[in-house]
Amino acid sequence: MAVYKRTYKAYQGPLTPAWSRFTVLSRYGLSTLFDSRPFTAYTVLCFIPFLVGLVLIYVFNSSTAQAILKIGSDHPIVNKFWFLGFLSVEAWMGFLLAAWGGPGMISKDFANHSVQLYLCRPLSRAEYLLGKASVLGILLSSISWVPALLLFFLQAELQGHGWIWDNLWMAGAIVLSCLIGIAMVSLLSMAVAVWVKWRIAATALMFGVFFILPALGAVISLILRTQWGHVVNFPLMVMIIWAHLFRVHPTNPNATGFDVVPLWAAWASALSLCAICFCLLDRKLRAREVERS
Amino acid sequence: MPAIIEMQNLTVRLGNRTILDRLTGALSGHCIGLLGPNGSGKSTLINTLLGFYQPVAGGARIFGKEVQSNLRELRAMIGYMPESDAFIADMSGVRFVRYMAELSGLPRSEAMERAHEAFFYVGLGEARYRKLGTYSLGMKQLAKLAQAIAHGPRLVLLDEPTNGLDPEARVRMLQLVREIRDTGEVTVLISSHLLRDIEECCDQVLILKEGRIAALCNLEEERKANLKFLELEVTQGNGFLESVRGLGCECAAFGAGRVRIILPDNIDLRQIYRTAAAHDVQIRRMNYRRDTLEDIFLKAMAGSQQVSAVPQGSANGRL
Repeated sequence: MAVYKRTYKAYQGPLTPAWSRFTVLSRYGLSTLFDSRPFTAYTVLCFIPFLVGLVLIYVFNSSTAQAILKIGSDHPIVNKFWFLGFLSVEAWMGFLLAAWGGPGMISKDFANHSVQLYLCRPLSRAEYLLGKASVLGILLSSISWVPALLLFFLQAELQGHGWIWDNLWMAGAIVLSCLIGIAMVSLLSMAVAVWVKWRIAATALMFGVFFILPALGAVISLILRTQWGHVVNFPLMVMIIWAHLFRVHPTNPNATGFDVVPLWAAWASALSLCAICFCLLDRKLRAREVERS
Repeated sequence: MPAIIEMQNLTVRLGNRTILDRLTGALSGHCIGLLGPNGSGKSTLINTLLGFYQPVAGGARIFGKEVQSNLRELRAMIGYMPESDAFIADMSGVRFVRYMAELSGLPRSEAMERAHEAFFYVGLGEARYRKLGTYSLGMKQLAKLAQAIAHGPRLVLLDEPTNGLDPEARVRMLQLVREIRDTGEVTVLISSHLLRDIEECCDQVLILKEGRIAALCNLEEERKANLKFLELEVTQGNGFLESVRGLGCECAAFGAGRVRIILPDNIDLRQIYRTAAAHDVQIRRMNYRRDTLEDIFLKAMAGSQQVSAVPQGSANGRL
């Protein structure tokens, strides 16, 4: 279709591999998110805990730095509690990031009926979801388990003396716990976005699920004199799972309140949320493949 | 010409309603029209061809490939312009088309190049950096066409492409469709309820009525056949019709001197004049009455039986 000729010409050139098509969605999704300066600024802000962690680990492992800063030997130890604390901070920052960027990413497609244009191409519903979820996956990974692992390896390098072998399990715990959190937040963010087209309302609903639902659960628990109301407290359920993965026993003073429901209930609650969100997404996507004018 | 789309007993049911009912036929040509009143199943047929609806019986083949089992491969060869608005409001036109082309499998640089070319081609070159949300309805329709052709498909499905367009934009849209058709590199399937749109572009037409095929005809052949179709208004004259029949023409009288005649290839118009003169019949009016698509459509809507393609040169049953 040469411009100067203004005639239609079929494309005869090479095509990209079929498996890589979802990455187009990720690339455009990220590019669209970072078109917003406030969003970019907030994403940069999310790296501050990582930078603080870098400095702290260096200071804790450097006697020279400790002498300069006049820090005694009673400084905190970099251990599972330290990493759990770091991940908790990043998790909340990541939640805000997902609540900000996630709904808009999908609701724009639904608001203007463009879903059918994606799905009439060689792209399945699963690939569409994967592409969109990977935007949040990449963003949240870059501020959670990736920096946490870097800190872990920095600590291992500076500590030496076989610290890494004693704590290698923690690397797995960091990755797994973050992936659970990312899956929950990404799926929730997308599911909310497809059901509530208005981006601000979708963000508000996400806050509702993470803040109002736990309050509701607590009220139910109080009225019915049971602990099961807490299963809708998703942040708490995630923390219970994380505590288990980080081998923090519920009797530990750092894990107060983590024994309100058994571990299996926390897993069931988290997985149920993911499954419900996935079903909602699939149902809505299936319905929007075909738009009626 | 080989069939582009073949349907064999294609039945689609949505809920408890049968939307497409045992469609069987082969569509060929460079531009295929899909006609029918609202709710006749045109959009459902397009969506079934795109694989969005699963047939409950039968199936469809595009370029000889079964739709449901070769969905990915076929979707790469198809460009689709939906009936409803479909765009990303805060994306520039060219970025949107490039995005869609990349999703169809074009590498980044080629997608960019073809997105620009497609925008120039549809006449939106100057507006390509504007956000789609700011486009007028006509521009949005053209942008939808651009995204449907940017990846160079072999089959373009246009669902009501002239919907909501002003006369000038409609002419422009149909001109583009004809240009795409005339390249011969792509087959266009247009769904519309506007007969003129179909008549101006298509060489084959499938008319649907309540989910069934009401007519499937080749417009080119119909047009050729109808060139020999005469409508006369004559003064009464005994034996005129018998003499005309004697020449080998089919004819019928409708009262008040109105006569319709089908001229076989070997009969010259002058022979009709001579016959009229011989019977002292005055021909007061004569015209080649063209059997328009509207006639075909109305006939198809009136009758429930399937009208299949008329053999070339024949106009049997048109009287």
